[in-house]
Amino acid sequence: MLDLSLAERILRRALRDGGDFAEVFVESREGYSLRLEEEKVEENVTGRETGAGVRVVYGESAAYAFTNDLGEASLLETAAAAAAAVRGSSGDVVVDLTADAPRGAGESLPPERPPEEVPRQEKLELARRADRAAREQGQEVVQVIVALGDSRQRVLIAASDGRFREDERVRVRLLVQVVAARGGEIQTGYEAPGILGGYELFERFDPAELGAAAARQALIMLDARPAPSGPFPVIIANGTGGVLFHEACGHGLEADAVFKDASVFAGRLGEKVASELVFAYDDPTLPGIWGSYLLDDEGTPAARTPLIEAGVLRSFINDLKRARRDGTMPTGNGRRQSYRHLPIPRMSNTFIAPGDLSPEEIIADTRRGIYAKKLGGGEVNPVTGDFIFAVTEGYLVEGGRIGDPIRGATLIGNGPRVLEGIDAIANDLDFDAGMCGKDGQSVPVSTGQPTLRVGELVVGGTAEVG
Amino acid sequence: MEELREMACAWAEEARRLGAREAEIYVQDSGGISIKVFGGEVEELRSSASRGVGVRVLDDGRLGYAYCSGLEPEEVRRTIRDAMDNARYSTPDEHNRLPEVAAEGLVSPEGLGMYQPETEETPVERKVELALRLEELARGQDPRIRAVESAAYSDSVYRVALANTGGFCGSYRGCDCHCYVAPIAGEGEKSQSGFSFAVGKKPSDLDLEGCAREAAGHALMLLGAESMPSRRTAVVLDNLIAAEFLGVLAGALSAEAVLKGRSLLAGRLGESIGSEELTLVDDALMPSGMATAPFDDEGVPSRRLETVKDGVLLGYLHTVYTASRSGAVPTGNARRGSYRERPRVSPSNFYLEPGKRSREEVLREVGEGVLVLQLVGVHAGANPISGEISVGALGMLLKGGEPHRPLREITIAGNLLDLLKNLSMKGDDLRFLPLGGSLGCPTIVFDGVMVAGRS
Repeated sequence: MLDLSLAERILRRALRDGGDFAEVFVESREGYSLRLEEEKVEENVTGRETGAGVRVVYGESAAYAFTNDLGEASLLETAAAAAAAVRGSSGDVVVDLTADAPRGAGESLPPERPPEEVPRQEKLELARRADRAAREQGQEVVQVIVALGDSRQRVLIAASDGRFREDERVRVRLLVQVVAARGGEIQTGYEAPGILGGYELFERFDPAELGAAAARQALIMLDARPAPSGPFPVIIANGTGGVLFHEACGHGLEADAVFKDASVFAGRLGEKVASELVFAYDDPTLPGIWGSYLLDDEGTPAARTPLIEAGVLRSFINDLKRARRDGTMPTGNGRRQSYRHLPIPRMSNTFIAPGDLSPEEIIADTRRGIYAKKLGGGEVNPVTGDFIFAVTEGYLVEGGRIGDPIRGATLIGNGPRVLEGIDAIANDLDFDAGMCGKDGQSVPVSTGQPTLRVGELVVGGTAEVG
Repeated sequence: MEELREMACAWAEEARRLGAREAEIYVQDSGGISIKVFGGEVEELRSSASRGVGVRVLDDGRLGYAYCSGLEPEEVRRTIRDAMDNARYSTPDEHNRLPEVAAEGLVSPEGLGMYQPETEETPVERKVELALRLEELARGQDPRIRAVESAAYSDSVYRVALANTGGFCGSYRGCDCHCYVAPIAGEGEKSQSGFSFAVGKKPSDLDLEGCAREAAGHALMLLGAESMPSRRTAVVLDNLIAAEFLGVLAGALSAEAVLKGRSLLAGRLGESIGSEELTLVDDALMPSGMATAPFDDEGVPSRRLETVKDGVLLGYLHTVYTASRSGAVPTGNARRGSYRERPRVSPSNFYLEPGKRSREEVLREVGEGVLVLQLVGVHAGANPISGEISVGALGMLLKGGEPHRPLREITIAGNLLDLLKNLSMKGDDLRFLPLGGSLGCPTIVFDGVMVAGRS
């Protein structure tokens, strides 16, 4: 993507007037997206993009310049633009990229069915199958939206500390959203699996199954009765609940939030912050999982980072800038949306590790409580960890069995306190795919969780107290 | 400039040769810089250079879109083929069409004051100095200015060419620049921030001294602000922030929102939606406007449009698609964020037409009320469908037409349509905000607004 000697010249130009560190990030991305709404193809877009960004860091300041013209003159001009923020002089800087063992692209498992090899007709048919299956679930299904997207992203990172590395990431995702209505009542269902890989995704997930599942969720919830309010034991199903950990705890473990004192976990490394049953990790090395990569967007090799072990806070996740400032090792979490953005600390695949119990055992052990099968949107105060999450598919648990569906339930609590309150963890770890937004940048992440129980959590419901 | 136009036309021709029935080529070449300074040093500098091509192909009402970065002919040809392939698999919709080529031709870009070479020619170092000087000016306004939270300069320069197989072929270039400053005033335990901005077409347009003075003046004026007991009173929106309100209104005037049932103004054409003081104009031909262009992003000639006149709703903002679906005329409001996006409805230079009174006369006339200098959470606190608004505010209590004491922790609540009915006065001081396009408003007065506070 970029010649080694040109990379060296760009970095030398970037540091000509001073600065502590310079880096060039080159990206090429091609993608396709298809959106089916009301059975019509509403969007059908192909995009191809290449670009490069040059970063110069000096003290606490950062300059970033990008271009999508990868000609030599343009790249050197971009380096000069980033250097313009530095007002000093340092003379000649030695940048030597030849010593780095190139790694990345060669080591990634190629997708079994690369997006380029799947005809458009087949992609459209995959979306249509999900759409049809959802509509076949009943008259009360009033709206179905299906979106299919694939992308291939290649990145190259060269930096003044000698890095010269490449990675390649192919991703495919299908989203199905269903609205069901009866009288004035409206309920929604949602399925959205994704993969770091190709169209083999649909060997794991049948589009018709996904469409039907999303529709069933919406239909079941039409029959639901108003949720009760008050403190209850809450069982959170595998997969979906990971979003709660991601939002209410994960963001507080990102080193930039910790530094700004916008985190409940600041200054608590080595302390007990959760029930001793809790082991939590951030792991971008998991094969085929949506939020995985081999190298982060600064060229640091991906690695499994222990966040919490036996309830004790082990480490934060960071990028090069924060690792340097905190005097710690980079964890491989410096990520960016594209060449137009600066890297910042981001989660990859964040999850709570599985325990020994079966989910059935946990349910059987719960006399009266709530079973949250799907969580929807939430809101979190990052400084305090307080959160509210909507339960989009929920049930009562009565006498150790799953009972009637309930609607309008919200979970109200505090991230760290919920971690303390976990009293049972099952062995069925599963992941959900999502896009995580922060500082105006969106990156693919997975959130994972086995079925688990929180001893007591406040449920906000709409049922009359009786 | 000529070169981009020729490229666009040649590629539209190429698309036809490749077998596209109808095609549109959008070429964008843009760049800019933003500089934030803090404590006499550059805190962050960002510079961008970006160009690319967006291709829309229509095949019997079936729409396909594709884009690529760069201007390499081979890549563009591939992108045209992608768009054609995508169209083949789209659902036909008779309202997907290219605009008619206007018989009267286009306004020449030359007279619109869109481009000033100075913006591109000024070296980065000079722009850094400009931001640093703004910070210094703000700090020097008064001994009580303790710090400057942020001072920034930013600009953008863009060149656009558009061509389609219907024979349209046009291009223009333009630029903008802004500066922003937010000083903090302090006295004892009390501290308060103020802000101001200036916009222009070239760096030398920016009135740094005026910007620093207004920002520091507000911070000082608001020192020691307290809440007030809730009451219904006249509310004056300073022209520094009044246009923030218009964003919600412009969204409701989008025909796309109307067609999707997401507008509180749906089905109200010809009705009165506000007081007689309310005239809303969308004018893409306004000289030197931030959204000024001879044609929109699908080639419809720009025009001056009154969407609301003396309180009566006259029309919505349209693209070719929404106009065709609604049986209306395209208004030239198709815009896109970049070559990566298809055109959608968006306002151009959208403003509330100013009156004749000076700001001082307006305040004198109002006498008693609340002058709002800062708004908090306009976007989060306004529901575009119901029109319910609840936003936080900082400002001054007015007594005898003069600022009397500073206010904070107050909330302005109500329905947008009720507010518009109670629009009672407007100043002659129209001012545009570099926020979400190009929205402009003079100082305006709403009568009988519920202001909630703490007693």
